[in-house]
Order: sequence, then C-alpha cells, then structure tokens
Amino acid sequence: MTDTRPDRTGLPKPSGPYPPTEEMLAEPVPEEVRTAQAERLRAAWATPKGFRYVTAVNNSEVGKWYCMTALCFMLLAGVMALLIRAQLAVPENELISADRFNQLFTMHGSAMMFLFAVPLFEAISILLLPGMLGARDMPFPRLSAFGYWCFLIGGVFVIGSIFFDAAPRAGWFMYPPLATEDEGPGSDIWLLGLSFIEVASIAAAVELIVGTLKCRPPGMRVNIMPLYAWYVMVVGGMILFAFPPLIAGDFLFELERSFDWPFFDPERGGDPMLWQHLFWIFGHPEVYIIFLPSIAIAAMIIPTVAKRPIVGYSWIVLSAVGTGFLSFGLWVHHMFTTGLPTISLGFFSAASEAVVIPTGVQIFAFLATLMVGRVQMTLPMLWIAGALAIFTMGGLTGVMLALAPFDFQAHDTYFVVAHLHYTLFGGMVFPVIAGVYYFFPFIQKKKLSERLGRWAFWLIFTGFNLTFLPMHLTGLWGMPRRIYTYPTGLGWDGLNLISTVGAFIIAAGFAVFVWDLIRPKHRQPQIERNPWEAGTLEWTHDVPEEAWGVRSIPHVTSRYPLWDNPKMLERIDAGRYYLPDAEEGRRETLVTSVIDAEPIQVQRVTGPAWITHMAAGFTGGAFIFPTFHWYPPAIICAALAVCCIIYWLWTSTARPPEAPSKDAGLGLTLPTYASGHASVGWWAMWITMLGDATAFASLVFGFFFYWTAQADFPPEGAMHAEAWLVGLAALGLAVSWALTVGARELNRRWAVGAARVCLCVAPLAAAGGAAALVVSVLELQPSTHVYPAVLCALAVWVTVHAGVGVIMQLYCLAASVFGKMTPRYDADIWNVSLYWHFQVLAALVTCAVMGLAPGVL
Amino acid sequence: MTDPKDSSQKQELEEFAEERASLMKVTMGPLIWAGHFVICYGLVAVICAKGWDIELARTGLLVFSLGSLAAIGWVGWNSWRQWNPRETGDYVNRAGGAEDRHHFLGHAAFLLAIIAFLGVVFVSLPLVMLEGCL
Amino acid sequence: MALSRMSSKQRDRGHHWLLGPVGVRLAGFLTLALLSGCGKEQSALDAAGVDAAAVRTIFIVTLVGACILWVLVNGAFYTLTRLRTGPIDERFVRPLLIGGGIVAPSVLLIALLIWALSILPDQRAPGDGLQVRVTGEQWWWRVEYWPEGAEEPVVTANEIRLPAGQRTEFVLGADRVIHSFWIPSLGGKMDMLPGKETRVSLHPERPGRYRGQCAEFCGASHAWMAFAAVVMPEAEFEAWLEREAGDAVAPESAGAVRGEELFRSEGCGACHAVRGTQAIGQVGPDLTHVGSRETLGAGRLGTTLEDFERWIVHTGELKPEVRMPTYDHLGEAEIADLAAYLKGLK
Repeated sequence: MTDTRPDRTGLPKPSGPYPPTEEMLAEPVPEEVRTAQAERLRAAWATPKGFRYVTAVNNSEVGKWYCMTALCFMLLAGVMALLIRAQLAVPENELISADRFNQLFTMHGSAMMFLFAVPLFEAISILLLPGMLGARDMPFPRLSAFGYWCFLIGGVFVIGSIFFDAAPRAGWFMYPPLATEDEGPGSDIWLLGLSFIEVASIAAAVELIVGTLKCRPPGMRVNIMPLYAWYVMVVGGMILFAFPPLIAGDFLFELERSFDWPFFDPERGGDPMLWQHLFWIFGHPEVYIIFLPSIAIAAMIIPTVAKRPIVGYSWIVLSAVGTGFLSFGLWVHHMFTTGLPTISLGFFSAASEAVVIPTGVQIFAFLATLMVGRVQMTLPMLWIAGALAIFTMGGLTGVMLALAPFDFQAHDTYFVVAHLHYTLFGGMVFPVIAGVYYFFPFIQKKKLSERLGRWAFWLIFTGFNLTFLPMHLTGLWGMPRRIYTYPTGLGWDGLNLISTVGAFIIAAGFAVFVWDLIRPKHRQPQIERNPWEAGTLEWTHDVPEEAWGVRSIPHVTSRYPLWDNPKMLERIDAGRYYLPDAEEGRRETLVTSVIDAEPIQVQRVTGPAWITHMAAGFTGGAFIFPTFHWYPPAIICAALAVCCIIYWLWTSTARPPEAPSKDAGLGLTLPTYASGHASVGWWAMWITMLGDATAFASLVFGFFFYWTAQADFPPEGAMHAEAWLVGLAALGLAVSWALTVGARELNRRWAVGAARVCLCVAPLAAAGGAAALVVSVLELQPSTHVYPAVLCALAVWVTVHAGVGVIMQLYCLAASVFGKMTPRYDADIWNVSLYWHFQVLAALVTCAVMGLAPGVL
Repeated sequence: MTDPKDSSQKQELEEFAEERASLMKVTMGPLIWAGHFVICYGLVAVICAKGWDIELARTGLLVFSLGSLAAIGWVGWNSWRQWNPRETGDYVNRAGGAEDRHHFLGHAAFLLAIIAFLGVVFVSLPLVMLEGCL
Repeated sequence: MALSRMSSKQRDRGHHWLLGPVGVRLAGFLTLALLSGCGKEQSALDAAGVDAAAVRTIFIVTLVGACILWVLVNGAFYTLTRLRTGPIDERFVRPLLIGGGIVAPSVLLIALLIWALSILPDQRAPGDGLQVRVTGEQWWWRVEYWPEGAEEPVVTANEIRLPAGQRTEFVLGADRVIHSFWIPSLGGKMDMLPGKETRVSLHPERPGRYRGQCAEFCGASHAWMAFAAVVMPEAEFEAWLEREAGDAVAPESAGAVRGEELFRSEGCGACHAVRGTQAIGQVGPDLTHVGSRETLGAGRLGTTLEDFERWIVHTGELKPEVRMPTYDHLGEAEIADLAAYLKGLK
C-alpha cells in the first residue's frame, strides 16, 4: 500500500496535476482528436469476430457467457427438482427408483449451489463490476476467461454424469462414511469436478477483490464506492476463507477414496465428524456468499427507485462486513444433532441468532431509503418486493431453527427444506431476477417485457409459496428430507401433492422468464442509455456498440456521480477524462491506490487468447481423469496445464514496457509498470495465498481435531516421521525461501549475477527439503491408521507446494536471463518471494507438527 | 501529486498511515469477536473431549468475555471520536473528500464495534447458562 | 385447548388490510397447521412427551412473533412503495435504523436465546433407570433394553417401547454409516455415528403408538428406515419387557412347524437370531418375537400374514438394495408356511 515504493526501484512517479480542476474538465476536446482517439480505442477493444469470438476475454463477453451457463445449469437442476416433486406427489410412488432419486436430489443441491448460486455471483460481478467502477475491464481478463472455461468444463462433466446414471448419490453434503464407501465413480465425480470449479471460484474471487481494491476510478475513495463493490469485497473475502476448508476436505476425502487413507473411517482412527466440520465451515458462509451479492443488487436498485441516495450507507457497510464475519460462527448449527457438548451448541446457537442483527439492519436501511425517497414502482422493484416477502419469512424461520431445541425437532425435515428455499429464493433468486430486469438495458439497451415480467413474477411467486409454505407443516408432521417415497396415513399426502403442483407453477413462471430473456429482440427499438435514471457509473456504458467500457475514466467525487455531476456523461463520452486513447493499440486500464483511489499506474490488460482454453482444458483433464482412476493421462494433463499457464504468464504478464511512463490524460503522467505492493499482480498473489494458507490451516486443524477427538492420538507405539529428516526438510525449505528473498534484494540493487546464483541454488535447496520430507514419511503406512495418513497428507501438501515454488524460482531465473525481469522491472520476483513467505511458514508449521507432535502430545 | 514538497509529502505519508490504521480499525471489532468465538469454542471442545475441568474453563472464559467486551468498547470509543458526528454535524459522510473518508471509516468501525459487542454478549450467554459438557 | 385459541387469533389477523395474498395464505396455513397437529403418529406438533411439548411451545410463540414481524416489515414496505410513496421526514430514519435494526432484534433475540438455552440440556438429562441402546444398521434398528442393574440386555429390533412418566436414556451407535434416531411425538432427534456413542433421553407422558424414523440420509432405503414407538403405562411395560426377554415360542400349527423347518433349511438363521432355536445370526434383525411387533422390515409393512408373505417374496422391491435376498424361488405353500411360522413368533 505504500504508493511511493516504485521510485526506489527507479520507476517514475506519477506526475502532473491531480485532482483535476473544473477548468481542466471544462475545456472541450477537439473533434478530430476525439474521433481519432475513439478509432484507436475501438480497435484495441474490438471483440473478435467469427469463430474467434470464443477467444474473447473482455468482461462483458465472459460475464455474459458465465451468466448464461449458470442459468442453463440452474434450469437443469430445476428440471431435477420437478422430477423429485413428481416422485413425491403421491405416497409409495414408483415413478423413479430410489437410486435415481438419490442421484437427483444430490445433483439438484450440488448443481444449484456450485453450478448456479456461487458462479452466478462471479458471473454478475464480472459483468457489472468494471462498469460500476468505471474501469475498462477486470485487472486479469484472461483469468476470468480461464475461470469461465474451467467452470464450463467442470459443470458439464458433473451435471452430465446424471445422464449416465453415474451421478453422485450421497447427498450434496457427501457425508462419509456413506459417501466414502459408495461404489462407482459418483463420489469422485462430485469431489474432483467440484474441486475444479472451486478453484475457478477462488480465481474469480481474487480477480474481483483486486478489481475492487485497485481498479476504481480516480477519486472514488472507499466511502463513496458503490455498495455493490463493498459487497463484492466482503464476499470475495468470504470465499477466500470459506472455500479452502472444503478444498482441504476434498483433498483428504479423495485420498481416502483413491488410496484408502482412513481420514473418515472410524475403524482406523478416522472420524466422519471432521468432514462435517470442514464441509459446514464452508457450507454456512456459502449461504451468505450467495445471499450478500443479491442483496447488493437490491442496494443498487432501491436508490434508483427511490430517486435518492441510499440512506445509511455506513450501516449497510456495517451489515455486509458484520454478516461476513458472523457467518463464520454458524457452521455447527448444521450439526446440532451430532451430540456435541451443549455449551458448544450454545455458542453456535447464540451466533446464529446474532447474525440476524446485521441482516435486519440491511432491510431497515432499505426501508429508510424508500421512506425518505419518492418511490416509483418499477418491474425490478416488484421482484424486490417479492424477495422481501419471501426472505423475511425464511429469516424468521431461521431464527426458530437457530434455537437448538427447536432444531432437534426440525433438523433434516421438510421444515428445513422450506426454510432454506425461502432464504435462497428470497435472498437470491428474486433479487437476481430483479437484477436481470434492471440491468438488462445495460447489456442490450433494450428493456425486457413488462407484461411477461409480471406474468413470470406472479407465477413464480404463487408457485413458490404453494410449493414451500406447506413444507413447513410437512416437516413438523415428521417428514424427513431425502426420502424417495413415503407411506400413506401420516398426513403427508395432501401437502406433498400441493407442493408438487406448486413446483410446476414455478416452472411455468421460469419458462415465461427465460422466454422473455432469449426471445429475439431485433424489432424492438433501442432505448436510451440509463433508462432508469440511475446515478452510478455503469449506466455510462455504451453497449453493445462499444466494447471499451467507458470512453474515458472519470474523476469521481460522490456516491452517485451521474446525479451529482450532470456534465459527467458528456465529458466521459468526449474523452475528457483519463485514458481516452490507446496510442499503442493495446488494452489498458487505470490502477489506483487502495483507500483513496489516487491514480498510480496505467496497467496493460490482456486481450483475446486461445491459451486460456488450453490451460482450462488440461486443468480439466488433470481433475477429471482421476475420477476414473486413469492416473497417467491425468499427470500428463497436469504437466501440460502447467506449461500452458507458464506460457500465458510469460507472454502476457509483467512484461517490461516500451516506455517507463505515459500520458494518462488531463496532464497526468503515470508509470506503466509496478512491482511489489503497488502492482495488481502482487495483490492477486497475496490474496490467493491467503486462501491457500486457509486450506493448509484446515489440514492442521484436522490433525488437532483427531488429537482432541481421540484418547490415543498419536496411538501407542505408532511409527513417527523420521525427526532428523523433518528437521532437514525445514532447513532446506527455509534456505530456499531466504535465497528467493535474497535474490529479490540483490536484483533490486543491480547485483543481477548474484541474484541469478541465488535463483539457481534456491530450487536445489527446495527440492532437497521436499525430498527429505518425503523420505521422512516413506516408511509410514498411511492406510493402516489416520495418524500416519495425516502426516503423509501434510507431507504431500508441502511437497506439491514446494514443487510449484521451484517452478516459480526457475521462471524468475529464466526471466532474468532472457531480460523479462530486470532490476527495475522485477514484479515476478516480488510475487514469487511473496509465495515463498507463505510457503516457508506452511513448511515450518508442518515440520513442527510432524517433528514435535510425537513428543509433545 | 503536483511535485509535493518534502514536508507535505511526509505529512501525506503520515496521514496515509493513519488511514491504514483506521481501515484496520473497521475490522478490529469483528476480529475481536472472532477471536473470542474461536477461543471459547476451541477451549470448550478440547476440555469436554479430554474430560478436563469445565468449571474452571467457564470462569476463565467469562473473564475473557469481559476483557473482549472492554477491548471492543475501546475500539468503539476511538471510532466514535474519529467519526465525530457531534462536532461535524455530519451523520452520513456522503461527500468525497479526505475528511469525509476519515469520518466514514470511524462511523463504520463504530457500528461494527456495536455489532461485535452484541456478538460477544450473545456468545457469552451459553457460558453463563449452561453448566456442563453434556 | 391452547392450540385452537391461538389459531383463531391467527385467523383474525388474516383479515387485516395490510396483508397481501401471501398473508392470507399464511394465516390460513397456520390455522390449518395448529388445528390439525393432533392425531398424526409422526408429528412433532402432536406432543406426547415433555421434550416435544417444550419445543411445541417454543414453536407456537416464535410463530406468533414471526407473523407479527413479517406483517410489520412487509406492511411497511407495501405502504412505502404503494400507498405513501412521497418523501417522509428524514427525522424518522435514525430511530428506525437504531430501533428496528439494533435494539428491537437484540432484545427479542436475547430473550429467545435465554429461553432456548434453558431447555437445551433437557434431552441430555440422565434417565430414570432404564437404558435403551439402539444401533442404526442399513436399514433397520438393533435394540437392546438395559433395565437398571441388568447384566444382560433384552435384545430386539425395529421397535421401541417405553414406559410413560419417566425419562429413558438412549445410547446410540451405528454400524457403517450415519443415521439419526427420531421419534417426533416424543422429542428431538440425535445422530447415530459409527465408532462413537451419542446419548439422548426422552420423557414420554401419553401412552400410545407413535412412529419414529431415520432422519439422516443413509443410502438407498433411507425412506424405509422407520419403527413403531409404543409408550405404555409403566406396569404394562414391565410385563412386556419380561415377555420380550423370554425365548421364542415353539411353532404350533402344522404349517408353522413346516415353516420352522424351511427357516432352517433356507439358512435364515445365518443372519437372523430366534432365541431358543439354532438360529443365532447377528447380521439381520432379531426375530424372536417378530410376530408380536407392530411393523415388519423396519416400518415397511404391518405384521399380518399377508405382510410376511409379501416381505419374503418382494424384499428387494419393498426395500431397495436391502441385504436380505428375495425368496421368490419358494412355492406359494412354502411361503405361507414360513409366514405362519414367523407370524407365530409372538
């Protein structure tokens, strides 16, 4: 965050007047300059035509594909729900077999969560966020594209399994031992397919966080960011801490499935409860990861509808941040009936109630805005009203369920099914549809049909309540979840029939909605930009005609710039503000400082490419082949994926620029290169490593979980890791870290030769350390007991990370030799040494656990 | 950024460091809540699993809760002063100046301190009301 | 009773002008729910024990509170977006945020939390003497009764009988996968985990026949893992337990005798135990007194002769992926004999 860093390495500092004065902004841009600039900008940002269209990486294209793909997966998962409802319409129905039913409900939940709800947040954010921030694109467009292709491949693979009768069937929560013992590839498809998508999710989260922190328009301090950006930041942070525990869980789970390492097998010291903890540490924050961005959409719509700025901006920020934190203290409320100590249940019951407060604040801030505004009811607002009606009900049943004694009764019954659908429809589906109606003109400059929109609303709203309201009662009358059929005479028959009828009404509503969305609109005339007269920057976008995002990046001084500064739109279009040109014909966006958004750099962003498809495809292979235990092709794919990614990074990131600085408009000259804290890459690495460290911490948590849960852990007479080798490993990895940091410092001081020597020795030290670690556990038999298994898992984790670290060191060495990295342009080594900071910490913790635990515990 | 003189640059740096601190302050309340929560949960889980003295732990954790509340109170008080609505008369900090950002961060931190305070109160209730591990 | 009073209140609220169509449906649903909570053998609202009654009270109170809050919030929203759309004085903003967002929920939630915490440990209270050990199998229940001071359990399966008016402790376990033990009319559920014991206690009061069911997804036939839970006056229970402890009765009719022979020759005893005979299998449910039970196949069928016949011939259809083979190779007469023998095991 120290913005002055670059000049120490010899990079130029930003220079010129800032902030711009009114006179500067009032000065007109000559017509011919305008046209010429626009031409160049248009050429640089042109979307590829023909079959090359799929190589596009621009956020507007990738965002659209992402949204449509998530919508398709949602519709498929919805059809599964219809089949489920059809089967449950009458008692002892034989429409669908038990096995098929179990596949269907497992896939319905998994697809809705992993292929729709979370990706849709990423999709919508990729689509909208740059617009709201007046940025040209996300900071790493190819990363967005890579994430999208991973999502598509993984999603098709996972959801496709249902057509081969091979889908996972142990529930979307995959509880072992049921899921570990399940025969067939179902569980592996779930684990590997979804891990693959989770990795893509984390990539998107990194991108979105960095985008919000570093790519805001000049002058947009944190206190005037659009609320959506606040939510993105909070949700991105939550993804970083919520997904890694699940990835760690998947890692252990797959080791058990593939190599019989007994992490969850109670007969060999394992514990199925560990999975439940890891799964729900992910699972509950995930609910808020889904909910918050949708509320963020409401927070954008409501001020527009009320024709005034949001009331209680700070309150909403409080609510987003507060919910984000509290949501990590709720996970055990999914485990109230697993026999944990009552005090523990009490903690989680209390935190589950406390989270109501920030959520309530949010709703009251909306009410307050409507109260002081002049409200004009629009179609998006109708959906928001429906969302509120449904969500408050889900919230209130949530208050009931958070009371542990009530949960003892309601847990795993249809009451919970009703509750969760009320929260997700009210907290996600309705606000998102509101968002679709609201933002559609942002994508197409056409509105969706008012009439069809109302039809869709009333069908979905009525159908929804008809389906799920009775389920509260079905649950209290004792119907458990996930049963493929039920006997007559328990009072469930009529209620279930009503629910089924309701489900088909919802489906009819979605049919209307989807038709409205995809129906050809050639004849419909285009409307003006900003049809809702909103106040935020995304409405300055001139789409679909212009792919450049904003014509020039404005200087922003208020929360609703279009309301407060009537001349802004005209000046943006005239190219009066920053970066109005693309002189070198390359794509660029502005990087600003984290808190006050002062311009600090002009950042090159990447353009269309095939390499992302190849990288995604091979990464997909590396995850998908192991599902069928075809390890050799998996390893080949993994190696090729690494090659693709290296090629991609080498050719398009942190290249030394032609000129050290350039004119960014309005007399401001900005550097074209940044390294360390000032660069977006460094932030991306930092954030990624935070997620990685969380996954690692989850593994260590697992170790201590076994120690807590078992009387003899490590068991009497167990074999331990060879202590001196563990020490050697710690030493090797620490030396490698020191050499990496040393190389960075030497390089900065122009001692390039010495730096290269360090970078030659560092990989050797790392490899030696990793080898020592592997040898130290070589004698252990991980399939006999969970203790050796968890030691081996830690060793595998550290070794793989050391391998990645070695590749990075060699990359820097090559970069130095081939002139990609110089003492001045040294972003690569900064990022790599940051990676190694985390890696050395993980290595030392691992070695401490492996070497010291036998003596201490 | 118009070629700042040394002294103004220094001042700028100091101000910036202060802002960084106040950005930390925004998350400080919730972080204390999180620390309190993790320690309560972790300690009780270990003690119950190992059959150690739960009474002692309860007392200790209650004292710890009071300490956490005091710490959050301190953060809240500081943030209140940074927000300073009485003097500025500005409760919403809508404008885009550096001053406004300063007050806004104070306001957000203050509100989060309230939530964190309530959170710790909620989470401490089971310590008061529930006696054993069963 | 208290329930119907509550529901008439709900009905009145249903006519309030603020309520949209959802509100009317909601109120109608509530009326229906609360009126008809009784008479369902697996209903948590039909409380026949102390624990279920406590939860029902919490539910009704929170439900009424939830309805009021729902109407207030949505009524306010409706008013502001439809009825009074013009700006209203900004002075109300801060009281609304502070009062509605922070003070009111904190007070209400703390009160609720204190209430819930006060009854939270009840279902962990030790029993009054009798202990029942239940193990969840795929997909049936192994049951052992351990009266106070007993050295040996009374072993049975797929049925729980309890004395009314006292608290009984359950010690729960599972064979391979996780199950959950739940008798809604008596109280909350508790998971059954492999490799670990969990405990829960129930205090039934009203004698009667209830139904319990596995509440944790446990595989293909999760839907068919249920049992009858019979609450009996204490003296009756003692008598029943004594009978249950005894060996199986010898077959009487000629058919039943042939049935016993078939039971032996078909190898049923490899999996099932019938005390007092050579059948000592432990894989499947104990059948010593299967004829006197309320259900067959863990709540799948009743226990008439026809039910026994149907079970033997259609096992796999009735209970997908069940480990017991289907004995459809037997002739009709043989099946009748086998059923007669089993039905006679009272």
